Amino acid sequence: MESNEADISLLVVILDTNPSQKIIRKNAHAMTQCIDAVVAFGNTHLMQKSQNKLAVIACHHSVTEFLYPTAGKLEVRQVDGQYEIFTLVEKTVKHRLAELINSAPRIVQPCESLLAGSISMALAYIARVNRNKSVGMRLSSRILIVTGSNECASQYMTYMNVFFTAQKQGVTIDVCALDKSLSLLQQGTDITGGQYLKLPQLDGVLQYLLWVFLPDHQTRDKLVLPPASKVDYRAACFCHRELIDIGYVCSVCLSIFCKITPICGTCQTVFKNSAPIREKKKRTIK
Amino acid sequence: MADDPDHDGIDDPKEYRWETGYERTWESIKEDEDGMIDAAIAELIQKAKRKRQHDKTAQNRLGMMRHVFLIVDCTENMNTSDLKPSRLFCTVKLLEMFIQEFFDQNPISQMGIIALKGKRAEKLTELTGTSKKHIQVVQELTKLNPSGEPSLQNGLDMALKALKVLPTHASREILVIMGSLTTCDPVDINATVESLKTEGIRTSIISLSAEIRICRYITSETNGNFGAVLDDSHFKDQLMAHIDPPQAAQTQENSLIKMGFPHPRAEEGKGPILSMCMCHIDNKDDPSKLSSAGFHCPQCLSKYCELPVECLSCGLTLVSAPHLARSYHHLFPVKQFREVLFNGQSDKCYACQKVFTAEADKHVYFCEMCEQFYCCDCDLFVHDTMHTCVGCNTLPGVQKRIALKVSGGQGGFGI
Amino acid sequence: MTSKSGSILLMKPSNIDCKDLQSYLKTRPPELLEKIYHYPTICLAVYRELPEISRQFVIRILFVEQPVPQAVVASWGSQIFAKEQAIATSCLTELNVWRVAAIPGGLPAWELSSTFSKNLKIALLGGGRPWSMSTFMDGPKPKEVSFLDTYAMSRWRCVLHYMVGAGSNSKIRENEGISPDAVRILLHANLMRRDERDGTPSITRQGFQFLLLNSQAQVWHFMLQYLDTCEERGLNLPECLSMLFQLSFSTLGKDYSSEGMSSGMLTFLQHLREFGLVYQRKRKEGRFYPTRLSLNITNKNAIVPSVGNDDDKVEENGYIVVETNFRVYAYTDSNLQVALLGLFTELLYRFPNLIVGVLTRDSVRQALKGGITAEQIVSYLQQYAHPNMINTESAVKTRSSLPPTVVDQIKLWENERNRFVYTEGVVYNQFLSQADFITLRDYALSINVLVWQSERNRTMVVTKNGHDDVKKFWKRYSKNGG
Repeated sequence: MESNEADISLLVVILDTNPSQKIIRKNAHAMTQCIDAVVAFGNTHLMQKSQNKLAVIACHHSVTEFLYPTAGKLEVRQVDGQYEIFTLVEKTVKHRLAELINSAPRIVQPCESLLAGSISMALAYIARVNRNKSVGMRLSSRILIVTGSNECASQYMTYMNVFFTAQKQGVTIDVCALDKSLSLLQQGTDITGGQYLKLPQLDGVLQYLLWVFLPDHQTRDKLVLPPASKVDYRAACFCHRELIDIGYVCSVCLSIFCKITPICGTCQTVFKNSAPIREKKKRTIK
Repeated sequence: MADDPDHDGIDDPKEYRWETGYERTWESIKEDEDGMIDAAIAELIQKAKRKRQHDKTAQNRLGMMRHVFLIVDCTENMNTSDLKPSRLFCTVKLLEMFIQEFFDQNPISQMGIIALKGKRAEKLTELTGTSKKHIQVVQELTKLNPSGEPSLQNGLDMALKALKVLPTHASREILVIMGSLTTCDPVDINATVESLKTEGIRTSIISLSAEIRICRYITSETNGNFGAVLDDSHFKDQLMAHIDPPQAAQTQENSLIKMGFPHPRAEEGKGPILSMCMCHIDNKDDPSKLSSAGFHCPQCLSKYCELPVECLSCGLTLVSAPHLARSYHHLFPVKQFREVLFNGQSDKCYACQKVFTAEADKHVYFCEMCEQFYCCDCDLFVHDTMHTCVGCNTLPGVQKRIALKVSGGQGGFGI
Repeated sequence: MTSKSGSILLMKPSNIDCKDLQSYLKTRPPELLEKIYHYPTICLAVYRELPEISRQFVIRILFVEQPVPQAVVASWGSQIFAKEQAIATSCLTELNVWRVAAIPGGLPAWELSSTFSKNLKIALLGGGRPWSMSTFMDGPKPKEVSFLDTYAMSRWRCVLHYMVGAGSNSKIRENEGISPDAVRILLHANLMRRDERDGTPSITRQGFQFLLLNSQAQVWHFMLQYLDTCEERGLNLPECLSMLFQLSFSTLGKDYSSEGMSSGMLTFLQHLREFGLVYQRKRKEGRFYPTRLSLNITNKNAIVPSVGNDDDKVEENGYIVVETNFRVYAYTDSNLQVALLGLFTELLYRFPNLIVGVLTRDSVRQALKGGITAEQIVSYLQQYAHPNMINTESAVKTRSSLPPTVVDQIKLWENERNRFVYTEGVVYNQFLSQADFITLRDYALSINVLVWQSERNRTMVVTKNGHDDVKKFWKRYSKNGG
């Protein structure tokens, strides 16, 4: 597809604000640093073209919410030489985030960030913008996830569903890992053709964001970006949750097991042969 | 559609359209205050969309591993231009879409194509799991000059021969697209039908002209669907109905299938090893290149360019985990939302943030799991495309609640 | 043998020259560029108009406080797109956004203009002084967007109506007249010309081409012409540019204050008010509202979001339906639009809200003779295509809402007129022998400079550039007594 000047580029940033992230617990300033960087990054995206659009979603420990745009409008006047719209973004994001943090219940114990759900919300929003665009316009959208959380295996199915939905809708998913390396999200970037970056250090986070994630999909081909590392697509068995090379798959529900079992633990199917069927016909190489 | 219980079976009283009640379609369209009917039409479309969705019910036992033979009629009757521009062109166009979508939704399934040309059956592709070759072959059908009469039996026999040898844990199916009203067979076709039945091969037929007794008979004997198309969009609906995996047949044997999950072989400190792939080794036009990329079979270390594939040397099925995950949504569909009249329950749609207004949103949709409200578009998006409820996955605790509710024996899913 | 140089005057029809911001700035002196980069608004506008790759380069070195080696910058781009990268690099140089600097070790490096980078950072991150029109006011008083739109379009149409109507039936439109100032700009821009006899202005061919542009492009072209003459009016060019871009970056429906503006700027504001770029209730009122015309002034593709309208449903202004049988249906009652369509269609019927016309060879040729190009006709029809035309399946696929047959035919009609290709050349004739002629002709052919030849008349034409070579060859050849 050739890029066209009239195309609208929508960027949805998902910012993990869960206070149980290790980097935040270690250093309270890390949060402020990230928010500032994300706001500046979002504004730089808006600066590229007048028709570019931005949305910011916060993934908090208790709830996922839109920080920008919001239904109620904030009235802003310029206070300095900053472009009015950029001021609006900055003010709205910070204002909404403060509201969100203040209203959130106190965290009792560290809990996971429901990032997969946040991605699904972003996809629903993108689908709506896509429906409402005026005739003849084309929308290219992407999602950037900025997180320092660990990923949690319990969200595996949701992750896979949203990745394939994104792939189908032509939405690119980019991931900026602040702390741990995230293999599941890396799979998502690989499936949707996005960029995955694990930050070496938190300092200069804005510069990293601008370098790797600012160019849109078409421009990335024209620039030299960090090469994608090989993604590990091995499956984990359902019984022990270990990565396996060779496994046994239930023909009814596709559950994966590392050993032969007489009954499928997921769908309760009783398997007929205790020995697994090996594909009998063996083709010879001509 | 054929999924509808009312339309299944030969001796159904309301089998034909002209036997059903007189539909006063115009009466369901009401003008609003301004004399416009846009709103009414939008509502009708919405209802139709939701109905389709409702037909899908949660089934836990599906034939996820499918071996399907597609039999396409390529004889004189396909020249008829009741479907635009001609039956053959229209079929080819829809099949391209069908094949793409089929492999998208049934990642570990295989498909083969047979063409019926002048009383003979010709196997265009063997059973394979990649869409590229099938689409290429189907596109070449347009160059054909269809002539003669088809032989349904020859086609079915050929498919039967190929499917018979396959292990029974897979769902084995035949889908016929028939343009002709007649079939010219060498011997009694009932014998073929009988063996299809004993083998448990599901045979479905889509007729482009009219309902044919023998076709209806074959499908009802083998548990398949029969459909005669009204127009191209109806044809598309009929075809797309075959994308979702069918319910597992009773006769189907369940078993564990051994599979390999290749992963990049890079050792610490060393670059990946250069090697040649197995898939292009016989291909003279596009010979295999020496490279470090590719997937290695964990059993015999042969290399392949893409997944899923069956290892040529040791016969192991090689897949990647996301391939399997792609079909999980068939097994764990999102629970239907409840349609409720809008009276200010929520100010905006939980998923897409659309602000509800009394004029535009007469109904809103309520998920009983996460207790959030959604707009109609998101309802469709969640169930048709994403297969993931937004609220259930963004609000902590809901997942646990769901797990408790359905814990009737189901284990956890995930890595 | 003689050779004659044919000095045919190559008559290129002078078309309207629509510059974008970049080409406009490239023609300005560097000192002026440096001066205008003191305004964050202008930096922002310049940045947005840069090519995609240039923008990425600027962002990458914006926060680097020292010069970056050129080799490093070059390594950022993929080699496959080296050509595009070269354009991007030269564009930044020409616009004075960056310049060559030396770093220790003697490597050539790029350094952003300090003024530009400082002010771009201000626009992006804040700091510095607020823009001149954002003085605090008590209580916001937003205006209806639809009101502003109607106002702006009615003002702007006055200018267009004046252009169309001035020549023929000026008497009728006396009350819709525009100020002498605006007329002066139209004359300066060569869109209108004073009649030699009675001095009344009449529209030129550039004027017609101007009318076929979309209003965004019209306003921009008009404002550039205005800026050309603003020094004469005693206005400060950088100040005017900055004001124009402040408006361009403002929010539709919001009020802004003219408090604290210099008298020059107040005059400029009044001019903008006349053309409909801003709305002000009274001349003395300190509050004004930018209109859609002034928003995103440099970008013809921009959609202008407005306050309180989250979904950005832009109202469609398309009204033309073109059918494959060359019929044109226009849902309009505007005399201006009818007149414009009448330039290249044969009008058949006129109803209160609809006119029907047909594109014929004669009507299109008439327009082509008047200096309108096929491209302009097509783009006009395209730009005002009815939403139903844009929504068709084929339109979505091909990105063109017009039937391809019609587009092709209009272009063929234009090509009919271009059957002559003018090439400057030199004629060689009166050769003494056939052998001489053939030798020389073959030589000319071998170095690819032969335009035309006739063996019977022993005449050949070579291009002007090839003349020297052929002449030299001939001298050598005849010296050798061939």
